[in-house]
Amino acid sequence: MALLDLIEEDIIKVPLVSASKPAVIKELIQVLKDAGRIVDENKVYEAVMKREDLSSTGLERGIAVPHAKTDQVKTLTVAIGVSPAGVEFNAMDGAPSKLFFLILAPPDQSGPHIEALADIARITRSDAFCRLVGAAQSAKEIVDIFCED
Amino acid sequence: MDGPIKKILVYIDGTEQSITAAQYAICLSKLTDAELTALYVVNTRALNDLLKARIFIESEQAEYQRDLHADAERYLNHVKNLAKSKGVTINTENRSGTPYLEIKNVLTEKGTDLLVIGELSRIRSRRDEFFNETERAMRSSPCSVLIVKDDEKVWNMFDKLV
Repeated sequence: MALLDLIEEDIIKVPLVSASKPAVIKELIQVLKDAGRIVDENKVYEAVMKREDLSSTGLERGIAVPHAKTDQVKTLTVAIGVSPAGVEFNAMDGAPSKLFFLILAPPDQSGPHIEALADIARITRSDAFCRLVGAAQSAKEIVDIFCED
Repeated sequence: MDGPIKKILVYIDGTEQSITAAQYAICLSKLTDAELTALYVVNTRALNDLLKARIFIESEQAEYQRDLHADAERYLNHVKNLAKSKGVTINTENRSGTPYLEIKNVLTEKGTDLLVIGELSRIRSRRDEFFNETERAMRSSPCSVLIVKDDEKVWNMFDKLV
C-alpha cells in the first residue's frame, strides 16, 4: 500500500496549535479520532510515547515521524500536521519540528508500515517538497502537493 | 509444439492483490502443467533506508526484520496451502534485499517464462510510480508479465478449479 493511498484531507491538520511534544502528538491522534480511524486515543498515545522514550523521532530540517505498532488500528493509518511556529521535539539537529507524520500500524502489518515510513524517508529528502508542505495553508494544498510531486 | 509457459513465478508481497495473483497462477499452473514458484522478498533496503534516515533505531530495525521474515513465512505457507488444496505443487523462495532486483534475479536464475503479479496500486504521482516496487519489477522483468485483475472473477475461477 503506497503512502499516497492513505493521504486524505480528513487526516491532515494545518496549522497544528500545540506547543509541546506530548501536546502535538495528542493533537495528531485527535485528528485520527475525529476522522474515525481510531477508538482509544489513550492507548495510541501510550504506544507512540513508548517509542519516543527510546529515541526521539524528530529528524533534521523540521521533520518528525512519530510512529508505533498498535492494535488500536486495523490497517496502516497516517496523520499529517504542520506547525508553522515549530515545536521542540528533541530533533537530531536541535531545530523545532514543523512537519509531522504520525504513522500507526497493526502489529501484524510490518510490511506496509515499513513501506510507508520508507516513502516518508524518501520524500522528505527533497528540500523543495518540505518547503512546499511546510508553507501549505490547508489540508487540500498538502494533498495536492503529495499528488503532484 | 511445447506450450509457451513452462515456468511461472508469482510475486507475493502480503497484499490481497498478490494473494489473488497466486490463485490465478495456481489455476494457470494446473492448466499448463508449468512449474510454479512463489517468491516473497523481505525489503531490507527499506529497513536500511529507515536506519540511515534515523527514523528507526537499531533495535527497531532488528525487530521489524524479524516481523518481516515471519510475514514471509506466513504468506508463503498460505500460498502453499492454496496450491495444495488444488493439487498443484508450488516451490517457495524467501529472499532479502531490494524487491524488484531480487525478483529479476530469481526470474533469471530459474529461467522463468512468466512473472505473475497482483494489480498495481493506483499511481497518484510521478514519484509514486518511480518507487513502487511491483511497478519496477514489471518494468525490469526479463520475461513476460501478467498482471492479475478482477479479484472476484479470479476467486470464482479458483473455487471452481478441480
